[in-house]
Amino acid sequence: MQALHSLAEAVLNLLTPLSLFHVAWATLLGIFVGSLPGLTATMGVALLTTLTYTLDRDTAILVLICMYVGAIYGGSRSAILLNIPGTPASAATSLDGYPLALRGEAGNAMALATAGSAMGTLVGIVLLVLLAPPLADVALSFGSFEFFWLAVFGIVISGQLTGGASPLKGYIAGLLGLMVAMIGSEGIHAHVRFNLGIDDLNGGIALIPAMVGAFGFAEVLTVMYRPDGVLVDARSSSFRALPRLIDLWRYKITIVRSGIIGTLVGIIPGVGEDIGAWASYAAAKRFSSERDQFGKGSTEGLTAAETGNSAVVPGALIPALTLAVPGSAPAAVLIAALFIHGVRPGPMIMIEQPDFIYSVAAMLLLATIAIAIFGLSLTRVFIKILKVPRELLMPVVFTLCVIGPYALTQRLFDVWVMLVFGLVAFVLRRMNYPMAPLVLGIILGDLLDKSLRRGLTLSNGDLAPFFTRPISLGFAVIIFLTIIMSIPWVRSTLARLIGRTRTAAPALKGDNS
Amino acid sequence: MPVNTSNADRITGAVLLVLGIAMLLGGYNMERLEIRQIHPASIPGLVPMILGAAMIICSLLLIATASKRSTEQVQADTDDAADSSVSNLLVTVILSLGYGAGLLGKLPYLPATALYIFLFSLYFSWAQYGTSRASRIRLIALTAVFAVSFAAGIAVLFQYGFLVRLP
Repeated sequence: MQALHSLAEAVLNLLTPLSLFHVAWATLLGIFVGSLPGLTATMGVALLTTLTYTLDRDTAILVLICMYVGAIYGGSRSAILLNIPGTPASAATSLDGYPLALRGEAGNAMALATAGSAMGTLVGIVLLVLLAPPLADVALSFGSFEFFWLAVFGIVISGQLTGGASPLKGYIAGLLGLMVAMIGSEGIHAHVRFNLGIDDLNGGIALIPAMVGAFGFAEVLTVMYRPDGVLVDARSSSFRALPRLIDLWRYKITIVRSGIIGTLVGIIPGVGEDIGAWASYAAAKRFSSERDQFGKGSTEGLTAAETGNSAVVPGALIPALTLAVPGSAPAAVLIAALFIHGVRPGPMIMIEQPDFIYSVAAMLLLATIAIAIFGLSLTRVFIKILKVPRELLMPVVFTLCVIGPYALTQRLFDVWVMLVFGLVAFVLRRMNYPMAPLVLGIILGDLLDKSLRRGLTLSNGDLAPFFTRPISLGFAVIIFLTIIMSIPWVRSTLARLIGRTRTAAPALKGDNS
Repeated sequence: MPVNTSNADRITGAVLLVLGIAMLLGGYNMERLEIRQIHPASIPGLVPMILGAAMIICSLLLIATASKRSTEQVQADTDDAADSSVSNLLVTVILSLGYGAGLLGKLPYLPATALYIFLFSLYFSWAQYGTSRASRIRLIALTAVFAVSFAAGIAVLFQYGFLVRLP
């Protein structure tokens, strides 16, 4: 109750004309960014971060959160109309959204996507307000041993879940991120590591240039490499802006379930919106009475995917705010932005700035209202935006990718870092290496390094506390099981054993009867 | 679109193996700071050594599993890649690197950016525009106006709005 009261207070504080103006333009820009293939939420938040240096703290965070929420929602536009997800988060949306558009139901699909996104974010906001404060309390009992395992857990689970058919590639991406984090002055003795004789590397690789490269420049290359999308014939579609209330009522359980799944996926470090959407979609398909329609234009599938990916946004902010461990790639940039603007996310946040979590929830709420209003009223405008030719858009995007990181430190070295990360990320993505563990590795590298060495110093070189303290032991067991289960031989043996048990059980039943 | 063939995995595995060995050796040979009497468990090379060893294991696993990929998957990847344009990619890389790592810092920001946007847009719009002389001249003029106005807009925003000293 206290939590909801604090949330209401935070919303009232934000209801000023200037704040609402910032909500409006930032959300609209976010939807624009998300709807254009080639502009992702991570890139939008990273580029906008470079434009918020001169804003005050609350306005800057408000603008970035609106961009994040808007971009994740905006991805559904191109998924439905072009069959190209505007952001990876909308990949599951295109499975049913595009067939609906081909049937002339683009308007209904977009209205349902809007309603699903809004509902998903609302479920996530409620869980953020309820879960973040107790999680911050638990995190206060974390020491070096627990933080070390938390960092390893983030990399392993993110690698496992985003690596798809090959978790090994997810782990490798995570290791590469950790290796990048080893460059520069380390956090305990200030010893400079792996600077390769380049003075500019003494401070390490900054997150913003790396992210802008991996998600901006790499995306420009991807867009120019792949064939152009074909916009569905808008004239043959009905563009009824409002969703049918009967549809929303029919899918109420799907919406709540997808919202909860999305939020929980968001809480898992470095997993992100796309997995949230797929997990919600898979659960909806499993429990649906119309599961044969999934993939052929199911309105339930579309609603589940959009609710799931949007619910990840508040979910991803829960560990980002309370543990400084991002739940998704855009949340990783938000953490960097929080530091830039003087907010220190982590277990101390409920002590140092107890109202901040509620302020963030209020910002999410305003962004949700904005996507609902814009999504339902500007359907035709977004169709026009999708017609912007890539040969005009991409050089503009790349120019922003160059000036954004440069503006942070005003040195060309960061532009070169962006270029290198862009090229490497493009190659890695072509070979199915996920980017989320790499980003998480860059963020968590310092925490992992410092926590391991600090822990070993405290225990005088003894490894036992890493395995005997209750939370540490829990993390260690989960990590061990996750890695073991990702080995194909173990999985197939287990599947064989389970299959044998299942076939044996009916036989036994038959014997007994 | 992915180029995830067995060969690519093997080559990547070999590169990652070298990286892992370099990291392991780099961590092992890193200064132990004995002169500062630090705790031996907190030496700066400890985590790099662990990461190097982990990367060696992962790269060996990648090489070992690469040969097991089915030929169907390789075929699917090849079919996927057929729709993509390598020439578009190469032109984008050359123009973008030429601008970001070449022009910038040597030319003032505004002309460098305007030139990049102009060349990029013109190259990729050229084939789509009509072949008549008049339409080509119109394309060049419109692209030039677009490039100069965007470059000027972004230069003014960052220089006077955010007080950034442009390169």
